[in-house]
Amino acid sequence: MENIYDVVVIGAGNGGLSAAATAAKNGLKTLLVEQHNLPGGFATSFRRGRFEFEPSLHELCDLGPEENPGDIRKLLERLDVKIEWVPVPEAYRVITTNEGEDNLDVTMPFGVDAFVDKMEEYVPGSRPSMEKFMTLCQNIMDALAYIGKSAGKADSKVLMKEHPNFLKCGGYSVNQVLKAIKMPKKAQRILSAYWCYFGVDGEMLNFAIYGAMVYKYLTRGAYIPKNRSHELSAAMDRRIRELGGDIWYNTRAEKIIMENQKVTGVITDHGVIKCSHVIACCSPNAVFGEMMEKDDVPEKQTRMVNARKFGGRGFVVYLGLNKSAEEIGLTDYSYFIYESLDTVKEVARAKDFNSHPIQATVCLNAANPECSPEGTCIMSFTTFYSEDVWGNIGADEYVEKKREVALNMIRDFEKNVGVSLIPYIEEIEIATPVTMARYTLNPQGTMYAYECSGWDTMLARLMMLEDDQIVSGIRFAGGYGPRIYGYSSTYLNGEMTAKLTIADRRENAK
Amino acid sequence: MKKFNFHVKPIGLLDMLNFKKLVPNRTQALAEGSPERATASYEVNKLATYLHPKSQQAEITEIIEHGEIAKTFILSGKELAPFRAGQYLSVKLEIGKSILTRPFSISSSPKWVKEGKYALTIKRAPNGFASDWILENWKVGTKVSVSGPEGVFYYEPLRDSKNVVCIAGGSGITPFLSMAYAIRDGIEDFNMTILYGSCTENEILYKKELDQITENCDKVKVIHVLSKEQSSCYEFGFITSEIIEKYAEGEYSVFMCGPSVMYDFVGKELEKLSLKSKFIRREMLAAPSSPKKFKEYKGKIDKEFKLTVKRFGEVLIVPMKAEETVLIALERAGIAVPSKCRGGECGFCRSRLESGEIFTPDELDARRIADIKEGYIHPCCTYPLSDLVIEVWPEQGEQYEEKH
Ligand SMILES: Cc1cc2nc3c(=O)[nH]c(=O)nc-3n(C[C@H](O)[C@H](O)[C@H](O)COP(=O)(O)OP(=O)(O)OC[C@H]3O[C@@H](n4cnc5c(N)ncnc54)[C@H](O)[C@@H]3O)c2cc1C
Ligand code: FES
Repeated sequence: MENIYDVVVIGAGNGGLSAAATAAKNGLKTLLVEQHNLPGGFATSFRRGRFEFEPSLHELCDLGPEENPGDIRKLLERLDVKIEWVPVPEAYRVITTNEGEDNLDVTMPFGVDAFVDKMEEYVPGSRPSMEKFMTLCQNIMDALAYIGKSAGKADSKVLMKEHPNFLKCGGYSVNQVLKAIKMPKKAQRILSAYWCYFGVDGEMLNFAIYGAMVYKYLTRGAYIPKNRSHELSAAMDRRIRELGGDIWYNTRAEKIIMENQKVTGVITDHGVIKCSHVIACCSPNAVFGEMMEKDDVPEKQTRMVNARKFGGRGFVVYLGLNKSAEEIGLTDYSYFIYESLDTVKEVARAKDFNSHPIQATVCLNAANPECSPEGTCIMSFTTFYSEDVWGNIGADEYVEKKREVALNMIRDFEKNVGVSLIPYIEEIEIATPVTMARYTLNPQGTMYAYECSGWDTMLARLMMLEDDQIVSGIRFAGGYGPRIYGYSSTYLNGEMTAKLTIADRRENAK
Repeated sequence: MKKFNFHVKPIGLLDMLNFKKLVPNRTQALAEGSPERATASYEVNKLATYLHPKSQQAEITEIIEHGEIAKTFILSGKELAPFRAGQYLSVKLEIGKSILTRPFSISSSPKWVKEGKYALTIKRAPNGFASDWILENWKVGTKVSVSGPEGVFYYEPLRDSKNVVCIAGGSGITPFLSMAYAIRDGIEDFNMTILYGSCTENEILYKKELDQITENCDKVKVIHVLSKEQSSCYEFGFITSEIIEKYAEGEYSVFMCGPSVMYDFVGKELEKLSLKSKFIRREMLAAPSSPKKFKEYKGKIDKEFKLTVKRFGEVLIVPMKAEETVLIALERAGIAVPSKCRGGECGFCRSRLESGEIFTPDELDARRIADIKEGYIHPCCTYPLSDLVIEVWPEQGEQYEEKH
């Protein structure tokens, strides 16, 4: 039987789902192939005993409340995807374990005013610089909206005239800008607490991107799906089919067929699919290093793939506890536990097989009390490795190593938050980069695709959207795409990629 | 929320130069990458495939008979995946026109994997279809295809008590045998008390092996409980709360593996001991061959229905009995679909229900909340109440052409 489609989307991660939905909605005959038997990639869920765990999402940035919708709520409205959302109560609690002046334990609220006020309380005198920061963020948001709309063709005259502050800070790191606006050191550090969501330190993290994210969190709050991310992925899956698209699970894309430097099809383990366009929600490493014949890949493209560095590789401990959050004494939703607030030192620590890694820990019930049976609660402890540390672990020591790190993370949390957890563990699961490689096929098990630091920031990627397009007919949705990784970024990448593909088709038709 | 109208003056030292450099810097860096063919397969990816192969090919190199009732098959293969004592393999079978799977706990020591071996002990099940067939047909030299090690029925020190009372019935001894070997071989470390229920002394599987382990390893104790034969060497009757209390020490976890009648009986006994649910773990059971057992079942058992199957753009129509699971209907029709645990837990058989009424027993329903809402089913524990239309996605590389 012959299968003919306009576009084949490889991988049903967030990027693939939104790309497939957008393509189908715009009338393209769309096939989404996914090697696993579930949609979502990282955005999924798994069950153990009485619990259904959230594998990845801590907080979705840029959904926003109905009355102040962010880009993601608007995107979901365009695609007509509806699910139940639960707001996250506070921005974050950050605890540092080093003794001395660096030692702190602060809880920061959502809301620009509330955030600035709270910072003033913790760091008297920080207000003027915090207000500057917020204004800069607003400027950045406006400028990014313009750059996003211009699809890689931003006019520098417009930028210069309308967005001067953005141009001034857009090429600098978080640390450089915060210093330039004379923010007190302690406030700088508290403000930088979200750095681990990028896995990049303040010297390397682009200020514009960080500022935009912090600002979105503060103005629009954060949300999670009521029934774990799988609810969102499953709703997307249904929408794609309603819009006329097809989804093949358990189907791996093996080869991309090229004729005269044009895509003509995809070979999967369930047959050949003819198509003129591919949207890949998987790594360029797989596409250019494995799916395409060597001779079909221009050298420039290969160099581009090899020049890039993989982003953080995740490690997560999931606990189902047989006591409620209140009984245990877990009052907050999101805890960042760092040794110090010096992001450079902290990222350096993530290079090694550190037995007491940093952690971003969540008590799901603090936001979503109904997520587990009465008298129980769910926690997840996440850390990341900035190098391929797990690549050196042999099969023999694998189980022991993961248990060792897990135990340390749980104990560090117990000690620093002053609660007891271990006696109440009813279910435990530990996911390492190996686990993530198993389920998503990401190289080295990376959860953050290509690192967005130094020269490879989102800003630079967006401005080079078309320069990056070397092999025509293949575009990248998902975390490897121009808007980088993270839930909201990957959804937006997917939509943007589908729209660019539609434009490519029009161009070809001419 | 109040808007900030604060005006930022040209900020400090920063200028636009760096912004202008973003594109040239990135262009240069991208050009400096190596021209060698890129790869997506790193050590971590290789380890993932080694630990979790989609399927493994092995050959039967030895068969050990346990009287009339059971046989142990030694499966040998290259680079077999390591496992945690207690895990199972899903065996792929072709019997007549049917393509099916069956899960079997690995009964050998995890150490054996290094030598390229797994052992599976298969007992004749009453009215068994696949077990009978295997006992008749598997010979030395037979090639078999199995899954990677699966399941979460294993000891986990961060969760379980250091003292574990293992309650086994019949062939349910197999995961515990593997755990006992693992303790003996220094791979696992916990105190194991096996309460093993058999009908008669003759039916005890692995009596000799268990004796040998307990002689050499004081962390493992075995108490045989016979239900149909009295003897001074053994406990008599069923495994009751009294027997459990008699042999358990301090705080303990209970692990159970055996037939469903045993779970029903021991489950009630355990209630008397008021153990917290975290201390009770049971290996899952394959869904029963008839839904009658479930109180909630309201269907008419003798009906026949039509099952419409969508598969990668094709449509197939096959018959289906109210009394059997959707998975069995598919297998009877020779439509290979993924399955591993056959008891609702692993989610490997996840398929999409497009239309029709189904019955999934509460106790086997381990679907994700959103899947229940969006109409996904686990065919292995789903019984039809009407004609159904479903969509399935046979596994990667799985040969899914009809056999007939
Ligand atoms: C522990 C953890 C916590 C996180 N927390 C947050 C958070 O709080 N907020 C946030 O915004 N982000 C968070 N993230 C990051 C976020 O999950 C990812 O960046 C995002 O989900 C990546 O989406 P993606 O579209 O790139 O696809 P992926 O999720 O990488 O999915 C790719 C899909 O493609 C499939 N595939 C690959 N190759 C093939 C092939 N050849 N053929 C067919 N299919 C293929 C894979 O099976 C997979 O389903 C977290 C990640 C982790 C791991
Ligand atoms: S085979 Fe495991 S859930 Fe159906």
